[in-house]
Formats: sequence, structure tokens, C-alpha cells
Amino acid sequence: MLKYLLQKEFLQIRRNSFLPRLIIAFPIVMMCVMPWVMNQEVKNIRVACVDNDRSTISQQLVHRIEASNYFLSGGQKPSYQAALKEIESSRADIILVIPQHYSRDLTQGHHPRLLIAANAVNGTKGAMGSAYLRQIVAPSGAVEGTSTLTLYNPHQNYKVFMIPALFAILMMLMTGFLPALNIVGEKEAGTIEQINVTPVSKWSFILAKLIPYWLIALFLITVCLLLSWLVYGITCQGPLLLVYLLAMLLALFFSSLGLIISNYSDTMQQAIFVMWFFVVCMLLLSGLFTPTRSMPSWAYATTYVNPMHYFIDAIRTVFVRGGSFHSIAHQLLALALISSLMAVWAAGSYKKNG
Amino acid sequence: MKPFISFVLKEAKHILRDRRTMLILFGMPVVLMLLFGFAITNDVKNVRTVVVTSQVDTQTQQAVERLAASEYFTIIATVGTPAQAEQLIRRQQADMAIVFGKDFAAKHSGVQILVDGADPNMAQQWTTYTTAILHQPVGGNSYIPPSSLGGEPGVKLLYNPQMRSAYNFVPAIMGMLLMLICAMMTSISIVREKERGTMEVLLVSPVRPLMIIIAKVIPYLVLAFAILTTILLMGRYVLDVPLAGSIIWIYLVSTIYILLALSLGLLISNIADSQLMALLLSAMVLLMPIVMLSGMLFPVESMPVVLQWVSAIIPPRYYIEAMRKLMIMGVGIGDVARELAILTAMTLALLAISLKTFKVRLS
Amino acid sequence: MERSSSVIEVSHISKSYARVQALRDVSLTVGKGELFGLIGPDGAGKTSLFRILCTLLLPDEGTAAVDGYDVVRQMKEIRRRVGYMPGRFSLYQDLTVEENLQFFATLFGTTVDEGYDSIRAIYSQIERFKDRKAGALSGGMKQKLALSCALVHSPSMLLLDEPTTGVDPVSRKEFWEMLAMLKERDITIMASTPYLDEVRRCERVAFLSEGQVMGIDTPEVVLERFKEVFNPPPIVNAVATQSQQAEQDDGGNAIEVSHLVKAFGSFRAVDDISFSVRRGEIFGFLGANGAGKTTAMHMLTGLNQPTGGTGTVAGYDIRTEHEQIKRHIGYMSQKFSLYEDLTVRENIRLFAGIYGMNDKAIKEKTEELLRQLKFEAHADDLVRSLPLGWKQKLAFSVAIFHNPDIVFLDEPTGGVDPATRRQFWELIYEAAGRGITVFVTTHYMDEAEYCDRISIMVDGKISAIGTPDELKQRFQQPDMDHVFTYLARQAKRSSD
Repeated sequence: MLKYLLQKEFLQIRRNSFLPRLIIAFPIVMMCVMPWVMNQEVKNIRVACVDNDRSTISQQLVHRIEASNYFLSGGQKPSYQAALKEIESSRADIILVIPQHYSRDLTQGHHPRLLIAANAVNGTKGAMGSAYLRQIVAPSGAVEGTSTLTLYNPHQNYKVFMIPALFAILMMLMTGFLPALNIVGEKEAGTIEQINVTPVSKWSFILAKLIPYWLIALFLITVCLLLSWLVYGITCQGPLLLVYLLAMLLALFFSSLGLIISNYSDTMQQAIFVMWFFVVCMLLLSGLFTPTRSMPSWAYATTYVNPMHYFIDAIRTVFVRGGSFHSIAHQLLALALISSLMAVWAAGSYKKNG
Repeated sequence: MKPFISFVLKEAKHILRDRRTMLILFGMPVVLMLLFGFAITNDVKNVRTVVVTSQVDTQTQQAVERLAASEYFTIIATVGTPAQAEQLIRRQQADMAIVFGKDFAAKHSGVQILVDGADPNMAQQWTTYTTAILHQPVGGNSYIPPSSLGGEPGVKLLYNPQMRSAYNFVPAIMGMLLMLICAMMTSISIVREKERGTMEVLLVSPVRPLMIIIAKVIPYLVLAFAILTTILLMGRYVLDVPLAGSIIWIYLVSTIYILLALSLGLLISNIADSQLMALLLSAMVLLMPIVMLSGMLFPVESMPVVLQWVSAIIPPRYYIEAMRKLMIMGVGIGDVARELAILTAMTLALLAISLKTFKVRLS
Repeated sequence: MERSSSVIEVSHISKSYARVQALRDVSLTVGKGELFGLIGPDGAGKTSLFRILCTLLLPDEGTAAVDGYDVVRQMKEIRRRVGYMPGRFSLYQDLTVEENLQFFATLFGTTVDEGYDSIRAIYSQIERFKDRKAGALSGGMKQKLALSCALVHSPSMLLLDEPTTGVDPVSRKEFWEMLAMLKERDITIMASTPYLDEVRRCERVAFLSEGQVMGIDTPEVVLERFKEVFNPPPIVNAVATQSQQAEQDDGGNAIEVSHLVKAFGSFRAVDDISFSVRRGEIFGFLGANGAGKTTAMHMLTGLNQPTGGTGTVAGYDIRTEHEQIKRHIGYMSQKFSLYEDLTVRENIRLFAGIYGMNDKAIKEKTEELLRQLKFEAHADDLVRSLPLGWKQKLAFSVAIFHNPDIVFLDEPTGGVDPATRRQFWELIYEAAGRGITVFVTTHYMDEAEYCDRISIMVDGKISAIGTPDELKQRFQQPDMDHVFTYLARQAKRSSD
């Protein structure tokens, strides 16, 4: 019985004028474009210099800044006020003020104070920018004697961090939203009534709805892994099998969530808005963009039930850090548990007899 | 005029009757604001640190204590070899390890920091903090920001001295939600009428097509304003985000942006012939680039040049930029003239295209 | 016909979509104040013609004028004058009955009070539900509301595309009486319909087939000239009688219902009904729109739980054993119930598979069925592209593909032309001949005569049950149409 229902689902996806194209093109485009975009690296910061000293030394300082690849010249401004104006009209991000008699004080052994003023509306950018600038203008010996070894991502490549996150986002979009629209679509078309008077069991119906999305997920993760290798030369450090296992579990979760929402919704619009809500919250609290451990304890508590958090943690461990099954055993367990609960709920919430 | 009013009322009823969608529409901004305001931070906090040392001497002991005393680091283990520490990091039981060399006590050097580089920004910040603490003069018991160390340049963080992420995200949330609500909901509501066949009747009725469009759009306009106001109020009174600029200009720029989003929704409804397609178009094809390329999450300057060009045609980029300036930096309207001009031009262009492509007949 | 009196002028109109030619060189004129009928099988091009006339579609060739305005160039003028009710007129599901009516009234620049007289006969029947959402109405009631919405204003010209599909006979009569009243006010009306009694009420009709006008004349002449299409010889109830006798031997009831109640809040949609259907019988389940037929059927097929009462279908309890029931029944719902984006063969395969047939059996039976329906050439066409009549025949064949004990048919022939309806009933008889019990609802009273026994439901109760002959005798009426009208009108008085 399941076989026939499955065939139907596949045929329906294939016949749709838009879905097959979306399923194939979307992940490819996203994988080719997004890793370049999802980059919180701070660079190309525009510096407006206010040189009140106008000496050779101060000019050298300015040149040193402009030569750095973090900074772009935002031009020299006569006064702090003028430089501030540049920031306000978004022509500069950071201001460096060189005090009068800078070179004289320096040669006399005093410690002249430079002023760095950064636009901190974007806090990270402001803080990182001023830190970089400080390192250039005051390369003091503070760092001496300490060496840093960056593990797993020696070149501090942001793509290494973001590609696993992109896997998660793509899985969420493709295996979450499509099922959310599926059953509610059949409700609106009226065909669900015909299925409800047949002896189809809840489980075969729900499984027939879920399985196509797992296959889509398989396709998706394969495309993602291939592209990340071909385009970015980033490969999985741990066993590939684990990546697939994680992807399948996440697909199970999102497709079940989609069907649950679909079962409870009356219109497609409702389904998509409810889905958006849950997905955005899960995404933000998953540690995908920001470290979960920086969150306040009440927010951190939610990560225990957030499958996205387990997935992100586990896939970064396997993909980036080369972790083994042992390293992610508890994430796998938690993910499997939550996902199967959701699948049971999906079948339970489908009512054949109102 | 009467048909027009009743049209608007009908449209408003559609929105109000769908309780669940309404709940999400107002719940979404509230929850997003709370999350961004209180839960999501990039702060260095509770970094799980492993100490690697072969012998325990007072110097090392003191250094470790200093680290542990700060709120940034939590010492979770002390192990003998770097390999053991790396194992802990790989298993995600630790984020960072500090290896003290044999001669640390003697020379006060030979410290190696092993840091999990999966998140490059955080890795960088962790090392900066660690180094600063380790090299702090003995006796001090808390981390002093490097800016106040002698000889160092003074650092001033403008507009957002506490580096609160809410300052950055409130304008971004406005840009995203207004687009989502206006574009997605208008496109769906028009396509739904096409799908159900009521559009035929509306078209054949004496009401002019332009009136149909305007009537469809007005309730969403009102809704968008309600949501905008909710966000601004929450931002101001719950998250303490300043409203430094003029409220009138904030609303005016927002109005232009809302109109732009509405025309985009209209355009989508002209292209899509089923609700499913309209939804997928607005949820994935439209929203993803908006979130990703508008600079709301990822800075535009860090993107490759080609993508910077692409982002130049993404309207929310200018809106978010304008809002950040008006709300947080409190600049005058003159400084957002460029954004305002681009938004207005985009709105007019989109409006023209979408009205032009609106089908007064069936195809 | 002289220029001044012809309101619609169509000359040499052709229209084709990607593959199909919908209209081919169509010419006709309609005079002012005329009641003009457009008839023909499904897919004949009626809807395309309507859409061209109300400027929703552009013709490929030829010209058409409405009220002297060209349909291509003077769209605005025409839209100001024309009232149009599309075939799939749909209401706003989330607005109440009254809100829908008010909206459409203001849309056309009038008010409900002003237009009330022209809709009283029909609207009064649904007025007591005026605070209910349109989405919660039964199919027929929705159609009545749609009619009210279309007629609440009185434009100079009305274009009605199959306005009475799914509407019960009594309301249809009232609707056509309303049209006659409008005609007296010199309003030109062009309507399409699959009902012969409605065709006869037109002044002139055009018979369209495969996009071409086959003839334009008075109804009598057209119906006579194409009588093999419109007036097929009645089916002899031979098979059924035979099967009925055969079944009487083993006796037993396929359906037994006693004191069945379904209440939605304080409203009792089905109010204490009891009846039984014998095995192998063709049982007609009649009733006015909103009488509770579909609700009752939903309880019998296990789609809904009864509020009270008991019943068995195929020997299983409808309250507890609905999944077993589903194994032994076939069902064809009011809404078209096959997957439109699958082909004929794929639909058959899906539903056969659901009932547990294996690949080999499905393959053999599919070929047999396709041969029987003469569908071989269209086996791989998408169901979406088939004409309505074909879809319905296919849906029925799919519903009995697994040889169920009972098949439930909810208005299976709504909107289908007479010739196809006849073929449909041949299929029903054949199924009955194989011993399948048929439980059918219909608004065609000629079909009611084909049933072995019928019940007539009014306001949630069964007000009469028996063979068609018994009922005609009991109420002393000449045919089922009159019996129905008599009962439905009587009941309405009591509910007022």
C-alpha cells in the first residue's frame, strides 16, 4: 500500500511546474553564493583619519593603516567633527585621531594618546575594528611570549564555520516547508476526503508523505558535500556516514514538524507563518550564528529541546573537527529521540475520522 | 467610494478572522525582539577552558586562578598533555586549552593557546581575552580592557558603548518583518482569489482594477504600521534601544519601504499562479537573499565584489541602513538622503512594473 | 436582426489554448431582453465564450460586441454593464453569508435592501444561516448564496455559466422564475445549463459542441434535432430489477441506521434518521440543499462521528469500526476526487494499490477498465485535461475498482450533460448487477426514477421513503419531480 502512495507523492512532486526546479536549483545556488555571504569576518573597514600632527611619523602611521588589508582609507579629515560627519553619512566606519605634537611627544619618550572612535551600532564590527586598529597603531609587546595555535581551522576561514550551518538551513527550508504545505494543500483541493474514506492506515499515509522528503534530503546533503569540496575545497574531516546519519535525523524532524503544522492548519498561509515562527526561533537559539554558551541561562535551557542545536553541534564536530561517532553520541541520541517523537505526533495528529 | 470601503473592510476581515496568522504576525516581532535583545549575544562568556600543565607551581596557579576568576572563562579540567586537551575539544567538551610550558614560572613565557577555530571570530576574541588576562600585572584580579592600559590609544565606541546587539538588530528585524508581511501576505491574498475564482467576478465588476489593488493593499499597510509601531515601542521600552532620530522621518522612510514591499507582493502575485508558488517564491526565493544579502546578519563589505553588486539591488539593505542611522545614530534626514532616494526610486519602479503586469484579463 | 435590438453580437470568434481549440468560428446574436441558453457537453467551449463576452479573455480571431461595445477595446464600458457568474463561482469562505452578500452588493454599487426583492425567493432559504461562515455551508447552499450574490444587483446584462449545478430542483425552479422576472425588466440573460427543463425555459438556445455552433433555434427545435444527445432513451431498469430479486434471496441489509443524529453546536444537521438499505439495491438519497445529506453520508463512510444513534454499514458499527467499513466501501465525493496532476492510469493504480491489490492484478484490471470505458487512448493523459463527464465516469470506476460491498456517490452527475449522465447510469446498473449496493444522492429527478428505492430528506429528517412508484402514489403526483417539490415546499412551511 505504501508503495502506491509513495509513487503518487513522487509523481505529484515531479508534475508540479515549480517544485522540481526549486529542489534542484535552490541548493546549488545557495551553496555557490551563500558561503561567500555568510561571513562575519570584519574587513574593508573605512578609516577616517584626523591628523592634528601632520608630521612624517603621523603620516607613516596613516600609511601603515591603509596598507593593512582590514582597512580602507576613508580620507583625511580636518577635525573630529568632520570625521564624525563621515560616519553619520556612512562613508566611514571608524575614526583615528592623532593628537597634536604626536611625533614630538613620541620622540621625547612620552606616551601620546591616540583616539579611536568606532561606529558600534554593529557591536561586533565596532569592537573587532577598533581591536585591529589598535594592534596596528600600538604594536606593543603585550602578546610576546604567547603563541596561539588555532585548531581545525588554521586559516581562520569563515566558510569552514558557515558551510555546516548552511547545510542546516537548507535542510530546514527544503524538508520543512514543503511538507508543511503538503497536507494543507490536499485539504484545500479536497482530495484528502477521498483518501480518508479508504482503508489507508495513518502510518502509511504519513510515511508516504515523509519519505520523499528524506530522499530530497539525501540528494541535498550530497549536493552540499560535493559543492563544498569542488567549489571551496572544504571536505568533511570525520566519517561521511555520520554526516548522512545526522542529515537524515534532521530531515525526519523537520518533515514531521512540517506535517504536524500542516495537519493543524486550515490554509497554506497559516501553515507557512506558523512554520516560519518555529523555524526562526529554533535557528536563532541553535548556536548557528552565536555561541549558545553566551546566552542567559533561560535561553540556554531551550537548547536542550532544540534539535537544531544538537545538529549544529554535531555536524561541526564531525565536519570541521573530525569527530567520531563517540564524540557525537549524545547529540545523535537526543536528535533521534526528538525526531521519532515528532514522527509519532505527525501520525497522531492526522485525523481520518473527525 | 462605498464599494471601495466595503472592499477594504472585507479584506480586513480576512486578516482578522485568521486568528493563528494574526497571533504569529504579532508574536513574531515580539519574540524576535526578545531573543535578539536578551538571548543572542556574541559576548565572550563561559568559555570552557582546559589547563594543560605538567607541574603545578605558584606562577601557573596564579595565572589559572586569574582566568577562573574572570566571568569569561570556566576551567573545566586540568590535564597533562596537549593531546588530551585536543581530544576534549574535539568531543566538544571544551572550547580552548592553555598549555603552560615547563619554564613558565621562570621566564613568564612559553604559553600556548589551543583554540577551537571552528568559529573564527570567537576564536580570535577568546585568544585576545586570554592573552590580556595572562599578561596582566600580577595582583590585579580582573580583566581590564586594553584601552585603559598605559600608552595604548583611547578607544571610544560610538552610539553603542555597551556593544548591545539589539542596536544592530532592531532595524534589521524591521526590515525583514515588514518585507515578509507585506510581500508575502499581499501576494498570497491575491493569488488565493485567483485560485478560488473570485478574481473573475471582481474583474468583471464595475470596480476599476486599480481600485481592487489599492483596496487589497490598504489593510496590509495598516497592519504593517501596527507591527512597525509594536517593534519601535518594544525596542524603546523593553530593549532600551534609543530612538535618537526624528520619529516622523522614521515613519516616513518606513512608509516608502512598506509601499515598496507591497508592490513587490503585487508583482509576485502577477507571476505566481498558485498559492504554493507564491508562498515558495516569497518565502525562499525572496526572503533568503533579503536575510542574507541585505547586511542584516552579514556585513556587505566582507562579501565578494560581485555579491556586493547584487546586494546593491536588495531594497532592505537601504532601509536597514537608513533605520540604523535614523534610530541609533540619530542623524538628520540629510544624511540618509541617498538611501531615501534609492528606496523611492525602487518603489516607483516596482510599482510601475507591478501595475503594468497586473492582468486585467485571464490568460 | 437590427442593430438596436441585438445586445450581444459574436462573429467568427475563434480561441485556442496551447493544444486545444476551444472555440472555432462561432457566430451568434442575442437580442435585447432575450433569455438565451447555451448548451452542449462539457468542454464544448461555453465557458470560453462567456469569458470572451465579459472581456476576461481575448479572442484569437473574430469580433464580439456587448451592448455595442467591442470586447477587445472597450473593456471598461462592458465591465460596467455586465453581471457575470462564473461556473466555479466561489465565495469568501471566511466571511459570513450576510457579509458575502453585502460585499457583492456594494461591489456592484447597490445594497442588500435594494436588491432584496430580486433574491428573496432563494435568499430566504439560507437567511437563517446568515451569521454562519460561507465555508461551513453545504455545497448546494453555497451555490444558492452564490446565486443570490450574482443577482443582488440588476445589470443590463447577465452572463451565467451553469448557475444551478448542485442546486436542488425546487430552488432551481425558483431561480428560473427569478430569471423570468428579470427578463420582464428587459434584462438580457445568457445562461448555460445541463438541465433539460431549464433549457426549455429559454427563448432560444445555441448548441455548442467541440467549439462549434451546431445549431441555434428555439429549445424545442434544437432538442428535437439533437435528440440523441439531449434525450437519450431512458434506461430500462432490467438489470436492477434482476439483481434486486437475486439479492432478495440472501436478504440482509447493507446499511442499517437507527436514530442517527449529528449536531454542530445547537444545530442538528442530521436529526434522528432511521432507514435501511438492502444488499444489491440502488438507493437514492434525496433532499434539498442543506437538508443534511452530505453530513449523513460522512457518518456512514466513517469520515465523521455521529453525535447520537447507531448504525451499521456492511455489518460494521459506524461508531467504532469505521476503519473496517472503509475496507468494504467505495466513495465518490461531491468535490471532484481524483488527483488532477496524475494520469488516468496513475490514479487507478494508486487507489487499487491502496485497497491492497497487487501489481499484476492492477495491470490486468486497468487494461480491462480502460477498454470498457474506451479510455485506452487517454490512459496517459492528466486527469486535469479530461472533460468533466469523463472524470466523473473515471472517478466512479475507480471507486468500485476494488469490488466494494457498497459504493457511496455524492452528487456524481452534477453539471454533466444528459448523454454522459446516461452512460454514467449504465455504469451504475452494471455495478449493481455485480451485486454492489449503490447509495447515491442526486438533484436530477429523472435519475431518482432509476433508483430501486429512494428517501427524501428535509431539514435533517427523512420525510418519505419507498420505491419511486410508491411515493408517486402516496403523494398523488405524476412524477418524482413533483413529489420532491411537494415534500420540500411543505417542509419549508413548517420550518418558517
